[in-house]
Parts: sequence; C-alpha cells; structure tokens
Amino acid sequence: MKGGRLRRAWPYLLALGPGLLAASAGNDAGGIATYASAGATYGYGLLWAMVLVTLFVGVVQEMSARMGAVTGKGFSDLVRESFSLRVTALILLTLFIANAGIIVSEFIGIAAAAELFGVSRYFAVPVAAVFVWLLVTRGTYARVEKIFLTLTLAFLAYIGAAFLAHPDWHAVFRETVLPHPRLLDVGYLNLLIALIGTTISPYMQLYVQSSVVEKGVTPEEYRYTRFDVIIGTVSAGLVAMFIIIATAATLHKHGILQVDTAERAALALEPIAGPFAKALFGLGLLGASLLAAGVLPLSTTYVMSEAFGFERGVSRTWSEAPIFMGLFTGLVLLGAVLALIPGLPLIKVLVGVYVLNGLLLPIELFAMLRLVNDKELMGEHVNGPLYNLLAWGIAIIVSLLSLLLIGQTVLGWFGVGT
Amino acid sequence: MIFLTSLVDRPVLGQAGETIGKLEDLIVRIGDSYPSVTGLVVKDGRRRFFVPASHLADLNGAALLASSIVDLAPFTRRDSEVLLRRDVLDHQLIDITGRRIVRVNDVQLTRVEGTYRVVGVDVSPQALLRRLGPRALANRIVGRQIIDWSDVQYLASTAPVQLKVSYDRLADLHPVDLARIVDALSYRESAEIVAALDEETAAETLEEVSDERVADLLEGMDQERAADILEEMTPAAAADALEDLEDDVAEQLLARMEPEEAADVQALMAYDEDSAGRIMTTDFVRVAENATVGDALAIVRSLEEVPDPLLAVYIVAVDDPDLLRGIVRLRALILASPQTPVLEVMDEDVPTVGPEDRAEDAARVLAEYNLLAVPVLGADGHLLGIVTVDDALAVLLPEIWQRRGARAGFA
Repeated sequence: MKGGRLRRAWPYLLALGPGLLAASAGNDAGGIATYASAGATYGYGLLWAMVLVTLFVGVVQEMSARMGAVTGKGFSDLVRESFSLRVTALILLTLFIANAGIIVSEFIGIAAAAELFGVSRYFAVPVAAVFVWLLVTRGTYARVEKIFLTLTLAFLAYIGAAFLAHPDWHAVFRETVLPHPRLLDVGYLNLLIALIGTTISPYMQLYVQSSVVEKGVTPEEYRYTRFDVIIGTVSAGLVAMFIIIATAATLHKHGILQVDTAERAALALEPIAGPFAKALFGLGLLGASLLAAGVLPLSTTYVMSEAFGFERGVSRTWSEAPIFMGLFTGLVLLGAVLALIPGLPLIKVLVGVYVLNGLLLPIELFAMLRLVNDKELMGEHVNGPLYNLLAWGIAIIVSLLSLLLIGQTVLGWFGVGT
Repeated sequence: MIFLTSLVDRPVLGQAGETIGKLEDLIVRIGDSYPSVTGLVVKDGRRRFFVPASHLADLNGAALLASSIVDLAPFTRRDSEVLLRRDVLDHQLIDITGRRIVRVNDVQLTRVEGTYRVVGVDVSPQALLRRLGPRALANRIVGRQIIDWSDVQYLASTAPVQLKVSYDRLADLHPVDLARIVDALSYRESAEIVAALDEETAAETLEEVSDERVADLLEGMDQERAADILEEMTPAAAADALEDLEDDVAEQLLARMEPEEAADVQALMAYDEDSAGRIMTTDFVRVAENATVGDALAIVRSLEEVPDPLLAVYIVAVDDPDLLRGIVRLRALILASPQTPVLEVMDEDVPTVGPEDRAEDAARVLAEYNLLAVPVLGADGHLLGIVTVDDALAVLLPEIWQRRGARAGFA
C-alpha cells in the first residue's frame, strides 16, 4: 500500500524544479535588500503583505506555467502572435526595462558582496562582467551554475537567525493576521510595491513558462508542474518572511531603521553566524548575484530576439547574429557600468529597481490575463470564474498601488503629503 | 507587389464604392506550392463575415469586391484553412535556404491568373519599423528581405486547425542544421519536425541535438518509432540518449529494439559517460591472422554494412576473434598485392586504451601517435571496440565550436 502511494507521489517529486528554482531566484540581491529594508524600517509591519504577495505570486506563476503547458509556447511568442505589433512592442519594452533594471541590481549585488570581503568594486565588477560574458558565450555557464546556486543556500541561515534572535512571536503573529497597513506613508508604500516587484518579477514568469515549454509538459502532466509551482512559491515566501523577521528582531529592535549597506543587512545574521555573519551573507549575495547576472542578460536577449525574429544563439559569431550578441553584451556592460557609478547608494538603488519593477508589472499582468483567457489559445484551460476574480483582483490591486505610489510621489514633489 | 500589412484593417469596398466593412484577415489553403487566397474575413462592427475569393475584384491598395450584394455568411474556422494574419504573420517559419528560424514581419501576395497567391514573406527589421511607426511614415522606410514561399517550411502546429502540411522541403536541410533548428524551437514544434523525418534522418539529426531535448522527444513519441530511431543512431549516441530517460522508459525502448542493436547500446551504457568505453564504436572489421590481403578485402566487400569511416582492419587470433594481434591500415591493404599475408603488412605495436579510461585520454593517444583510431581493450586483453578520431573530436571540442565549424563548412 505504501509502495502504491509512493509511486503516485513520484511524478510530483520529479516535477520539482523550474517553479522551485524560479521562486528561489526571487531571493537575489534586490530581494534580500527589499526584505531586509522592510524588516529594519517597519519591523513586522509588512509581514501581512508578504503572505498576500506569496498568494499573488502563486496565482501568477500558476497561470504562466499553465499557458506554457497548454500552448507549448513562451510568453513573448504568445504576445507577438496574439497582440498587435505596437502592443507587443510596449509589453516587450517594459519587460526589457524591468530586466535591465534587475541586471543592474545584480551587478550592484556583486559590488556589495565584494566590498564585504574588502575587495574594491572597481576591481570586482569588471572582472565579474568579463567572467560572466565569457562563461555564457563559451557555453560553459551551465557547469558553474550549480556552484552559484549552492552559494545562495547561505540565505537559508536567515531562518535560523530569526529563531535565535528570539523575536516577539506574538507580535509576529498579530502583524501577520491583523495588519495595520500605512498606505499613505510613501516609504511604506514604496517598500510594499518593492516587495511585490521583487517577488512577482516578470522574468520569473518568463522563466517558469519557458522551462515548461522546453520540457514539453502536456496539459495532462500539468498538475505535477502546478505542485512544483506551489511548493516553490510557498518556500520562497517563507524564506522572505524569515528574512523580515530576522531583520526586525535584530536591526529594527536596536534602532537600526535603514539598511543602507550590505554590512547592515549582514548584521541580522549575527545571532546564528556570529563573527562569520558578514562572510556568510557575502557568499550568498555573490552566488545569487552571479547566478542572475548570467541568466538574465541571456534570457532577456533570447526573449527579444525570438519575438522580433533576430538570428540568435550564443554559438553564433558577431557577423552571424549581430543584434543578439550586441544586445547580450550591451546588457552585461550596462549592468556593470551603472553599478560602478561612484557614490551610488547601493541598497537604495536595489530597492528602487524593484519599485520600477512593481510599477511596470500591471502591464505584464493584464497581458497575461488576456492570453490566459483566450479560448482559441487555451481551450478548456482558460481561468475559471472564481480564479479569474482572484487574478483580476491581483492585477487591479497591484495597479492601484502603483498609481497610488506615483500619485504620492508627485504630490511629494509639490510638498504635499507625508 | 501587395503586402498583407498594408491591406488589413483597411475598408473593403463594394462595386459602387460603398464600405462593406474592414478587412480582418485573408484565408489561404496552405497545401498549394504558393498558397492561394480562398476568401476574406470582413469585420463589420462586432460581426465577422466570410467573403469567398470569387467575389474579389482587386486587392491593390484596398480590397474591392466585384459585386455589391454579398451573401454575408458568418465566419467560422475550418480545417485546412489558414488565416494569413492570425496564423502566418508574426509567426515563426523555417527558412530552408538560410537554414534558420525566421519570424514573418510581412506577407507578400501577387495575382497569378486571376488568383491571389502568397509568394513570399518579408523578414526584414524594416518591415517591423514600417508597422510600428505611423502609417504616413511607412513609405519612407525602405528595404525588404523577402524569402520565397517555396523556400520556407510552415509548421502545422502554428495554426489552431487541422492542417496537412508537406515537409518535403526539410529534406534539403543537412541533419546538423536540422538539429540546430530542433534545439532552437519549442518542444512541440521540434516534435513536429522530427515526426516528419524518415528514421535515418531523424537518427542523424538527434545525434546532434542536445541530450535533454533528445530525451524529451523520445519520451514523447510512439515507442515503436523511438526504438527504430535509436537503432539507426550510433550506439554511443543512443546510449547517451537512453541514459537521460527514466530507467523504466529506457528499458521499454531497449526491449523494443532489435536484440543485436540493443545489446550494443547496453554494453556501452555500462561505462561512464566520459569514458573511452562510452564513445567507442563496436562497428569495425575483424580479420583472422592467417588471412591474405585479398581475403581481408573480400571480407570487407562481403559485409552488409561497411563501417564508415573505414580506417583499418583489425587482425585477430584464428581461434579467438577477441584477441587483437595488430592492425592493417586501409592504405597498406590497398597498396599490398592480394597474395600477401596480412601479418606482413600488419602494425603490431598498436597503442590501446581501456574502456574505463577517460575519453580525453583516448583522444590524446590518437593525437600523440597520429592515429585515426585506437583499439579499446578490456581488462582481460580482449578487443571491445575502437575510438575513432571522429568520436574523439566530439569530446575534445565543446559542442558549440563543433556546430560553428559545421556551419562554416556548409556556408
């Protein structure tokens, strides 16, 4: 009997992969900075949002994976084939800007990690850029990917740190279920949108959908993929919550309300790692940043080239695929150069990138909703009415929050508001 | 020259110049060598109508109908009908001469003996710019890159209806180029292409496709066909592919293969992925040591399938065909007179490798001794197979360089 149950569980376990990976990829340099900032500045005050955001991510990732399984096509393919060219250009442009921002943030992550180890970023960032460029164009990236991925496990230490810091569990629970949202506080709203932006990054949806397409998952096998998506989302959400708890119970409690340097973010790991907190944090940050600094420029370039039909592939020469190679090189260069601007407030920029991501997100969400509800594409696998209510609700809430932030910011310029 | 994007969303006019609606799409039958337009989809408000091509007087500039009173049948999708805007424009095609995947930025039509036909697709970036900018500016942007329709392969999975598509054009592609395309397409599109190939071409193609994609393709296809393709693949490539499959699927496929081929593949699977045993071929010619050069050549000629490349014959003991005595290179075999005993032209001092040795070490031996193939001997000294320069090259060069070389070679 037990064997039978095990056999039924096996396909689910085998399917664990893309969803889990995509969700953990959210915990990159920008993600950590955002969660740490949320914990330091507002204590447990944003925990409730993390629960909601996790639900949002789950819904959005699930739709992406389902679209991949049913249509057998990637998101940008579907956009190009279903929307008019002008709308396609708009959607892909926002995707491009969002991804370019994140690429910059990854190089900032590399800079911050290097400085934790006392290495100048003017040395580390150019070296990392050349390293990543060579790895990808020589086709050896896949071999080192696992090393980077292993390094990111360092962030799991936040879970231990959260427990060892003896947080006020009552407050944790209360703030999670009975929140006091401060939506008129620009700083709070900023972080709320950054939380959404970093957790529901468009590139994660692209990744989930394209890996489902790559594997040739059929609608019949889709439930295993859905299981993977749910597990991935929940575990990434939990890690994010523990980062908030750990920083709230250490930094916030001791009056450190701003996480403006990587050292401060590392401080939250002291309860578990003691004097090694900085090293542990630095390794995790380096791994996560290098991982995404290689994957993102490449996948962004693929998405753009595929949608517009440019010759593509890292094995091509410059003369064979000038736009592909130029775009890839340009993105790596852009990330590296911007990360080297002297006096750049690193952590602020990291959070800022995700605010931008959150602001651009509604465009992707509405495009996704159009596609997932297209009967000709999805047949019987379109959203059900209740699910649609939830999905539309998410898209509208995210859009309203974005509008609210823009409004607040504009009012702020005129000296009105907080 | 008529282009699709300058027609769609433009008014459809009746005989008297009255507006009947907007041109939504053109219907074509894809089976023809140059697909003919069989009808128009006209949109009036929210309703979509079908207008047969027989009513069409002119398409130049705007669609003009020959009659004013049209039987306005509502439009429904039917099998074997493709919509040019919905299913071709902005979709991917395979450019056979260019050996690449392209995206259709515009569709070129022309009138041939009263029928409008699709003659080519524009894949230029300029066509994109023309469509992105305001219409008034479109004519200022010059430059097109037209691919003739007879030079493209349309994929049936692109359209949401049942289509019969001829894949004859794929035969013009070299398996290496096919493999590159199979790797670059989505799984479903690549499965469609592989399904259209004969077993031999499919095998040659899959040998060059990435291991993960091969595993997915084999798993997705009918097991009988998968087994047939595996039989056609080199045992080393088949072993690599099977290893990436789940164990029970691999076993089922092996069970469906011809026992002889399956045994070869299983023998290779016993060795590590990067070992000499894995990349060796068991396909070589054995000649007993008491034979003459003439006998050896006769043995080669009598084989049903002669190894390719044929570099040398392997001289073995009379009573034990697995006991290697030496090799006779093809060159020596041709130069010697037929009566010469093979022992006289045989090289005895042949370097050998073990099956557990790393593939790179086998390649090094080949390079150091200037050999074209090195025999692989088991622990008991028995001849198991040979590693050829071809096999070794694939190990030494990263996959991408190999592909780039192949591309340059055929350009």
